[in-house]
Amino acid sequence: MARASSASQGNSAVLGKGTRLRGRIGGDGDLRVEGSIAGEVAVKGQLVLAEGGEIVADVQAGSVVVEGALEGDITATDAVAIRASARVSGALKGSSISIEEGASVSGRIEAEFDMPPELGGKGSR
Amino acid sequence: MAGTVIAQGITIEGELTSDDDVLIQGTLRGKLVTKESVSIENGATVEADIAASSLSVGGQIRGNVTAKDRVDLMPGARLIGDVKASRLTIADGASFKGNVDMDV
Amino acid sequence: MADVTVVGSGIFLRGSIQGDGDLEIRGRVEGDIGVAGEVTIADGALVKADISGRRITVRGAVAGNLTGEEAVRLEGGARVVGDLRAAAIGIAEGALLRGNVQTEKPASQKAAARSGARAERPAPARAETRKAANNGAARRGAAAEERAAPPPPVVPALKKGARAALRKRAR
Repeated sequence: MARASSASQGNSAVLGKGTRLRGRIGGDGDLRVEGSIAGEVAVKGQLVLAEGGEIVADVQAGSVVVEGALEGDITATDAVAIRASARVSGALKGSSISIEEGASVSGRIEAEFDMPPELGGKGSR
Repeated sequence: MAGTVIAQGITIEGELTSDDDVLIQGTLRGKLVTKESVSIENGATVEADIAASSLSVGGQIRGNVTAKDRVDLMPGARLIGDVKASRLTIADGASFKGNVDMDV
Repeated sequence: MADVTVVGSGIFLRGSIQGDGDLEIRGRVEGDIGVAGEVTIADGALVKADISGRRITVRGAVAGNLTGEEAVRLEGGARVVGDLRAAAIGIAEGALLRGNVQTEKPASQKAAARSGARAERPAPARAETRKAANNGAARRGAAAEERAAPPPPVVPALKKGARAALRKRAR
């Protein structure tokens, strides 16, 4: 009989350290990735890519915390937080993007905001 | 090592390979291979072939199952597919349609 | 400590700011900024310029690319349209950016890597001249090494640029 993981609380899903997924993962609730995913990720809740975890996929989520390695575009409804241990390559989109010094980042951020009129105002660049 | 939990509301489509326990409460379509045990809970939907050391089924599964050790079908389980295991239990209230091979 | 240059909040500077030391911008700058030290763009500052420095910290608004030898940091309230490039990049929650982000080894480390590569190149060249000497083909290539000992007058020119010297003589 399988041991129920201590991480299971209602809608919280965990892809364990020794687990590899080649395919799509989607749905409601939160997802914590400690293993590796190659494919597509689209969850409505919070996505946490733990240190040591790896995702090669475009990622859509309510909010995203990256501590591991992610190759792909990140699109979040809410916040995207890139932690110091992260390695990220791709575009970052969210209501708020934060990057901790120490992270390795190669990508693009397109926040929506106005610049002051002296520097071009709306839609500069 | 933390296991893998596919929570209710989560759908996985593809090939899942693990060296740890897997608990399925949501939906899995594709293939699952693990060295450890798999538990499919009531409410879960699985359309996949599964290879594991042992498998406990409380939900729905359509696919072939191979277990090194044992397969247990709980009340409320629905298994459509072939089973290859050295031990098999089918509880009262479980549904099963398929072939059984216990000669591992 | 006395090395900080401050562009006050009431100043509008059009032009280029270059040099050593640290720089703090509180007013408005249009042009080009390149200093060796730390650059701070204060809250309320308006900068339309590419900025390079050892460490760049932004709290105001910048339209331009930011290149930090060590780090580029956008604090909450910063608004930047431009690319960020530094060994370490920090973006606080509340900082707004439209641009590329690239963390990478600083230029000084890159230069060290390049000079390391340069140091390696003379070795293959020497090996080639030895081969040439063995083939008896390009004796002048080998000349740089073999004639290091013998009579002075000829040698210095050959050592520096054997081929160029021989070409000159031919003319």
